[in-house]
Amino acid sequence: MHDRDVREWRTPIRERADREWRELSPDVVDEFACHLADLHAAALTSGASQAEARRRVLDALNAASFLEVSRRPRARHTPSGYAQDVRLAVRQLQASPLVSAIAILSLALGIGANTAIFSIVNSLLLRPLPVRQPQQLVTLTKGSWTNPIWEQIRDRHELFDSAFAWSETRFDLASGGEAEFVDGIWASGSLFETLGVRSILGRTFTAADDRRGGGPDGPIAVISYDFWQRRFGGAGDVVGRTLNIERVPFTVVGVTPPDFFGPQVGRTFDVAIPLGNEPMIRESWLDERSSWWLSIMARLRPNQSIDAANAALRAAQPAIRDATAPGWNGYITEPFTLAPAATGESQLRRRYERPLIVVLTIVALVLIIACANIANLLLARATARQHEFSVRRALGASRWRLARQLVAESAVLSATGAVAGVVVARWGSQFLVQQISTRGDHVFLDLSLDTRVLVFTIGVTMATTLLFGVVPALRVAASEPMEAIKEFGRSRAARRAGLSGSLVVAQVALSLVLVVAATLFVRTFTSLANLDLGFERDRVLVVNINAERAKVDRANRLPVFERVLERVRALPGVAEAGLSRITPVSGQGWNVSVDVSNTPRLEGRQAQTFRNAITPRWFAAIGMRLVTGRAFTDADRKGAAPVVIVNEAFVRQFLNGQDPIGHTVQRRVIFNRNEPNVPPPPAQEIVGVIADAVYSNPRQPVPPTMFEPLEQSEGSTSAGIGLIMRTVGSPMTDVRGIASAIRNVDADLAITFRPLTEFVNASIVQERIVAMLAGFFGGLALLLAGLGLFGLTSYTVERRRPEISIRMALGAAPSGVMRLVLSGTAGLVAIGIFVGGTLSLWASQFVGALLYQIEPRDPVTLVSAAAMIAAIAVIAAALPAYRASRIDPATVLRESRA
Amino acid sequence: MEFTGAIREAKKGTAELVVLAFLDDEPRHGYELTQLIEERSGGALTFNFASLYATLYKLEERKWIQGRWVEKAGQRRRRYYRITPEGRAVLAAQRKEWGQFFELIRELAGVEYA
Repeated sequence: MHDRDVREWRTPIRERADREWRELSPDVVDEFACHLADLHAAALTSGASQAEARRRVLDALNAASFLEVSRRPRARHTPSGYAQDVRLAVRQLQASPLVSAIAILSLALGIGANTAIFSIVNSLLLRPLPVRQPQQLVTLTKGSWTNPIWEQIRDRHELFDSAFAWSETRFDLASGGEAEFVDGIWASGSLFETLGVRSILGRTFTAADDRRGGGPDGPIAVISYDFWQRRFGGAGDVVGRTLNIERVPFTVVGVTPPDFFGPQVGRTFDVAIPLGNEPMIRESWLDERSSWWLSIMARLRPNQSIDAANAALRAAQPAIRDATAPGWNGYITEPFTLAPAATGESQLRRRYERPLIVVLTIVALVLIIACANIANLLLARATARQHEFSVRRALGASRWRLARQLVAESAVLSATGAVAGVVVARWGSQFLVQQISTRGDHVFLDLSLDTRVLVFTIGVTMATTLLFGVVPALRVAASEPMEAIKEFGRSRAARRAGLSGSLVVAQVALSLVLVVAATLFVRTFTSLANLDLGFERDRVLVVNINAERAKVDRANRLPVFERVLERVRALPGVAEAGLSRITPVSGQGWNVSVDVSNTPRLEGRQAQTFRNAITPRWFAAIGMRLVTGRAFTDADRKGAAPVVIVNEAFVRQFLNGQDPIGHTVQRRVIFNRNEPNVPPPPAQEIVGVIADAVYSNPRQPVPPTMFEPLEQSEGSTSAGIGLIMRTVGSPMTDVRGIASAIRNVDADLAITFRPLTEFVNASIVQERIVAMLAGFFGGLALLLAGLGLFGLTSYTVERRRPEISIRMALGAAPSGVMRLVLSGTAGLVAIGIFVGGTLSLWASQFVGALLYQIEPRDPVTLVSAAAMIAAIAVIAAALPAYRASRIDPATVLRESRA
Repeated sequence: MEFTGAIREAKKGTAELVVLAFLDDEPRHGYELTQLIEERSGGALTFNFASLYATLYKLEERKWIQGRWVEKAGQRRRRYYRITPEGRAVLAAQRKEWGQFFELIRELAGVEYA
């Protein structure tokens, strides 16, 4: 009852305090409410009516002034005080919606871009695998391992708590014809157990399932949550269903949790199959001692250090070598080395680490530029509100109180920007990951928001608040109570312009850095994209054919492929066609060490050349140019004299200026202690030289390459082959006709179609993304800098209106006024360009590795970027300058007299 | 009684002394203090409640008095102020000073006080 009396008076007290711009702490409000309630009760006791009593209390309240009361410090740092700040800030932002919208939009873009890139950095570089105690995981470094080596490690239980091996692959789920690939992994039985990943449905597989020919349940597969949803619509009875993988029926035994994507970051899997099932679906590599295809990861025992594990593994290395070694020289001689693998394995990480950091720097700079812009906007607004602040100061508001108000406005801006930014980030990061993905290389990153990303975003938001909120706040905090009323703050306005000037210099400088970077990356990308690859990239279709499931034995595969070639050549849309073991720029590689007759013997890498095996007319199909000698003909068959065609790089590497035609190439045999008497392959005679063409990576110099007739090559029996077709029209137009022609030869051939341009584009995807992002953000930086300059010049003109009108009244020409205004801006831009140029030169050292055919300190780039900024500056300043020149002196002077 | 001129000015300075004096006997809350002051001065001395609390807070800040929320049976929660030893010392000093001042005024201007 008593409490209700008190409550009743709280609101009138707060309202009264509000009218005086006071805030009272809840304690004070309560105490006053108590007082008023007592007063009210006393009035009632003295015989007053309810209405009369209430009127008396309100009179007392209205007669009171809280100015003295709320000077108390305890009335300030209270939640309600802050809430009031926020309320006022929101009202203030609503009062100038355009300025607020521009600020929030720039922040959303800036914070969003930073969060987007950071969330990729986070998932690729920082986030631990979503498994049990990831910090105990280690990986066997430096590349891949053979299955015999893995089996040796697997059987040495004393080394680790547990270990597993896996290999990424793609599985074809189609029943015939065009392949339908899903992401797959071959994994040893211990994968799930070692990682501590449990199935959410059914079971995972174990060592018992990982047997050659299958475990007790036969061929089995574990599928991912995502695949379960996609392929089976999340059916509850999926366990026990049959899944045809490479046309072999597998039983689905379980589904993994939604957040588990496998041991490799940047990839995900749809289907996991025990290593032991591998022989059922392809020519097995399980006993291949020279097939290095497995990654190995282990879990340390509790309290086992990585050094101890390393030592144990190295101690076992000689025994492992003896057990698996075919006696080769240089076979696993380098000591085994384990590395921490809490964040998993990642090839993507190695490739994108540096570009990501460069892009993160770029977006951070863009955010700083955006902050400078907003600081300028707020500063202008704070100057406009000088009068209000002075009055408030005069009424007793402390400097701190006013500064806090401005910081609250900044904080509300940043927070709104951040919320919008998170939306931008989610969309942006997904878009980027899609850009990294190519058809043959499906990239997956878990981009879900985690604490680290949230902390980052909150940190960035707070930093931006400080960046653009503190300067205006300090400026206001320095205001004197009556100054603005007297003077309208002219001296301060001048100082404000100086501060804005330095902000603009900073903006111009940073924009220049970004524009230079953007130009460098875009030029890198365009030179790569327009690079003369040495072959035709347009109108060439690549059909990958796999005969693994076809009912032909190895020796008869080539004839089948050749029949396919004949059929395809007969199609009207196909101008020329050829088969090759390796498709250029597809990421495949095949090399060998050779000796060339009558030349000095080369050692190590110097002796290596890349190889390819092709059919006659393959050069014509892909558009490679013969330099001298002859191309292959149908006469270069098996049994005929072994011949070879080499490229110009090969000639430079091995022949030292001699005429290559007539020399022979002798492939070296890797020395094998156990089989010392393997006969060397026959020497091949060089019959032609082909112009240099990219083998796998457009960024690297063309390596020495030799081509041999497919028929004469040991590559002729492999199950996979590339069919290259030059088409008359667009490469993908007659895919159906080609597919049916191939099916007519053998319906069991698995085929995939891709235009050659896709392979080429995939090989420069990293450069494309960096160029795209740098270009976008460089442009954004220019826009922001332009806006900043426009704002500053407009403001300066506004401030100098009286001065300009006097000049004009005294006879200054409009052109002179324009020059006056522009020269001020030009000075700032010049300083900005100088600072930015110096910064760019310094920063260039960090991007050199990402560039191609362009120097990081390329003078043309620097000068053209500076010119671009100068042009933008002229455009941004011209409009306000023009407006200045149109000022009517009479009007202005009349205004200022009034 | 309405004071004018010099006396009204003096009133402001005496507020602190009066509040301290009333708290000398026992702890009191704000409302009680306004009532007491009005009663004892026969209505000659009144404080706007906000000024009274401003005085209380000022004294509290100087640690001459100390406020505390107290809940007594059958009454609403109120903030009671008690004088601190430091406050007592100040009160004693001020009393002495005012006594000397009035003595001086009496001698110089022949003003008698009760």
